[in-house]
Amino acid sequence: MDGCQSTIPTSEGDLHVVAAAHHIVKALGATKNLSDDLRKILIDLDAHLSMITSNTDSKGGRGFVNVEERLKQAERKILSWESDPRMIWDSGPREASKYLEAVDEIQTLVDGLQGLSVHENRKQKELIHHAMSVLQMAMSRLEEELIHILVQRRQQFDPKHMTSRSTQRDVVYDESFVSVEDEPTEETSSRNCSGDEIGEYIVDLIHADVIPDIKSIAKVMFTSNYGPEFCEAFIGVRKETLEQYFAIIDTEKLSIEDVLKLEWTSMSSKMNKWTWSMKIIVRVYLANLKGHDSWLLELGEAVAMGPHQPEKLLRLLDMYETLADLLRDIDTLFSEEAGSFVRLQFHELLESLGDSSIAAFEAFRVAISSNGSLYPFPGGGVHPLNKYVMNYIRMFSEYCNTLNLLLKNQHVDVADQVIEPDNGPNLSLSTSCPMACHLRSITSSLESNLHRKSQLYKNEALQHIFLMNNIHYMVQKVKGSELRLFFGDEWIRKHNGKFQQHAKNYERATWSSVICFLKDDNPGSSSLSKQTFKERCKGFSIAFEEVYKTQTSWCIPDPQLREDLRISTSLKVVLAYRTFLGRNSAHIENKCVKHTVEHVEKFLLDLFEGSPRSLRNSRRW
Amino acid sequence: MTGTDTQSSFLGRISIRRNQVNAMDGSHEQEIEDLDLFQKQVSDRFAEILSAPDDTPFDAFLSISWIRKLLDVFLGCEAECKAILLMGRDAAQISKPPLDRLIPELLDRVVKALDICNAIANGLELVRHCQKLAEIAVLALEQKPFGEGQSKRAKKALVSLISAMHLDDKEGSAHKTTDRNWSFGRRGGNKDRPLFGHYKSLSWQVARNWSASKQIHAMTMNVVPPRGPEASGLPSLIFIMNLIMVFVMWVLIAAIPCQERNGLTTHLPIPKNVNWTHTLTGLLEKIGDEWKKKEKKGMAGLLFEMQKMEKLGQSLIDFTDSFQYPGEKDKVEEAAKQVAELAEVCQRMEEGLGPLQMLIREVFHRLVRSRTEILDVLDQGAKSSAPLV
Repeated sequence: MDGCQSTIPTSEGDLHVVAAAHHIVKALGATKNLSDDLRKILIDLDAHLSMITSNTDSKGGRGFVNVEERLKQAERKILSWESDPRMIWDSGPREASKYLEAVDEIQTLVDGLQGLSVHENRKQKELIHHAMSVLQMAMSRLEEELIHILVQRRQQFDPKHMTSRSTQRDVVYDESFVSVEDEPTEETSSRNCSGDEIGEYIVDLIHADVIPDIKSIAKVMFTSNYGPEFCEAFIGVRKETLEQYFAIIDTEKLSIEDVLKLEWTSMSSKMNKWTWSMKIIVRVYLANLKGHDSWLLELGEAVAMGPHQPEKLLRLLDMYETLADLLRDIDTLFSEEAGSFVRLQFHELLESLGDSSIAAFEAFRVAISSNGSLYPFPGGGVHPLNKYVMNYIRMFSEYCNTLNLLLKNQHVDVADQVIEPDNGPNLSLSTSCPMACHLRSITSSLESNLHRKSQLYKNEALQHIFLMNNIHYMVQKVKGSELRLFFGDEWIRKHNGKFQQHAKNYERATWSSVICFLKDDNPGSSSLSKQTFKERCKGFSIAFEEVYKTQTSWCIPDPQLREDLRISTSLKVVLAYRTFLGRNSAHIENKCVKHTVEHVEKFLLDLFEGSPRSLRNSRRW
Repeated sequence: MTGTDTQSSFLGRISIRRNQVNAMDGSHEQEIEDLDLFQKQVSDRFAEILSAPDDTPFDAFLSISWIRKLLDVFLGCEAECKAILLMGRDAAQISKPPLDRLIPELLDRVVKALDICNAIANGLELVRHCQKLAEIAVLALEQKPFGEGQSKRAKKALVSLISAMHLDDKEGSAHKTTDRNWSFGRRGGNKDRPLFGHYKSLSWQVARNWSASKQIHAMTMNVVPPRGPEASGLPSLIFIMNLIMVFVMWVLIAAIPCQERNGLTTHLPIPKNVNWTHTLTGLLEKIGDEWKKKEKKGMAGLLFEMQKMEKLGQSLIDFTDSFQYPGEKDKVEEAAKQVAELAEVCQRMEEGLGPLQMLIREVFHRLVRSRTEILDVLDQGAKSSAPLV
């Protein structure tokens, strides 16, 4: 639409035409055989023409005829829809574009009128006023239309389709994420999420055909200075949409207090379900990323404003990085003004994502240290919390740069902090970067938690087995991945020492009392009396059988560790037994020595297999 | 933060003295000294905020900048309290009775405070939304030439604004998703009705059935001043910390709209006979009175800027209702003054809300960290109990 000024007669030539027209109209009006309609038109025209000529006092004449006519026409269009119960955008693209044209026309006229002169006359003011009223009506309507478009698209999202597969997915996801094998599967790597699985039921939530509509509405609204209304409506609906999706996928909102009270199993399943559903939604949105940058906006906003559950951290980091990349290439989707608004939104979003990431990180720590158990973990093996945390933080190394950037202002209390000199030229990989410090504090929280859990065991030896297993697991995880670069050799060495200490403590707690029976009270003297020998043998057998009964049901998952402990135990016990029997060989009869040395050796191999056995009733000789 | 200088020197004093005293006996006396100093700090700081000058109206009581000051004070006190509690102490010292009960209770209250921080963060989002709506109204009302079109535009925004402010009045029941807010049959739909129902969505909630007033009530349970031989020393410190935390959370809930504030108690267990607490009691009474007055009418929180916005908003709605082009001169002039005031409120919000939101985050992080640190120290005890072979 070209500028309005060109259609309002301002030149001398035009004024002559107007005067001539006026003259003709007057002449026509004098004829006798006019129809009523024609008479009305002529009267109207006459009035307008009079107005024009009477305005020649103010700055060389203004012609409002065209303006008023055009205004009336556009107004008619807009008013016609006011009383119409249908939605404009439901009635087809032609109607929509005609409506937008009318709005555009009014805006152009307003611009023109406002730019005309400094001395505003009454007529001009009235016209402007009238036009603005119509404009406001139109903007209000456009807002409704916008919301309708967005809401309608949302209602095409089929909840049944998603939830029917959710229970299936739960099982698969559960196993693979906290697998006994601890092999990284696709599910554990956030970056390598296979699009195929999810592609099956990706619903294109934002149909491509809707975007031009939204763009055109945006353009018109921003041009008329109704940008704020557009933004509030747009953001509002999109936020709401995401909340609805979450509700459909049945992720219940819990307060922090509630979360801390959850037992491990239900917390774990909630986390899995949440992560799975989050993945779906993120993939759906990111699939539309290339052409539809703006959708990331509200997704990000909604995510950032939600509760800071720890498992959300990786998603947030994903989004943060994607967004940061995007910002480099963002081009104006809308008009200049709208574009800068969008850019501003992106920056704000980036900030709030950053904030949320930090908060999620903190919440992660809180969750770890506060995770409580009512009952001791059976068998003393590696606790699922341990597995979850170590697998989870393994993924952080991918986000090293981003996390360091976000975390560098965070103060970290590092009671167990081990300071190490830089390992190499790459500073960010050193053990003193912010992420490394935070990772160590996370494992420190984990350790503390595991210590608390070990207190649940009544048997002191089992406490040590539990801690030995779990700390060993942590060390293995660190050594076997990129984490070792962040934790450093010092940390590894220290924690090696820790689990070895627990192994020693276990031995002492279990076997000292057993070996007591085999002790040599008087080193210098000869062997014990027969009676004492018998009692000692019996005592040893009972004690040994007790240990056997109890500790065959304990578990040391790591084969190497199991072997090492067996060897160490064997060395102590078997040696002591052999020596004992050797010193008192005179008293040995079949009846009183229940187990041979070889038997003892063999039985020791049954320990820590995780399947309980008993020697009481077996007749193994 | 103006408090940091005094704070760091305070911490410095403690650590120096602690090191000196560890060489000799009498650690209990030193504890009492630390405590007295702490009490004085608390008393001074709170007295300071109470006596803010009234000539700068936007630093008034319960304004955004006042609340920021309050939170700064809280952070300062929290840091000192934690320092006294943990510095130079080992697990054994803080696990003996009555601390073995008091400290876990404190940590439980901290968790509740975390949830309250989340609720407040949600509330601040609502406040920001109100700000945006007010800005639309100002934009419309400042248009020249001002006509009925802009008047209607302003009215629409203002009506949305007032409606959003009273959002939490009837909150509580599990609500449906907001589809029905958008389902406008165009018949019978008042064009100027507010469309922004989205703040009734799930993002507003901390959790289903969560209630701010219940949380505060739960936090006040068992907050009693220690008696007898316990009256000095760490139990007293913990009592003060509990008190401050409960008080600050209470003020936040009263000021900022958040989930389910009906029945907010106006009684907090502040002991009357201790001399340093009268500043707190004074504040409590003042805010409590305001709360009672406004609760019956339904309100948007006592935040100074929101109250102002509500008043101006109502008045301007009346103006736009009765406006007919070109409008009566004196009414238009009066409205222009109010619009200018509203614009100022928006400006204040624009400047202050961001920092306030960050401050709430900071409080959240700090509480999390302190809790973890205390738990860690308690665990050191557990860890180190394993004897070496």
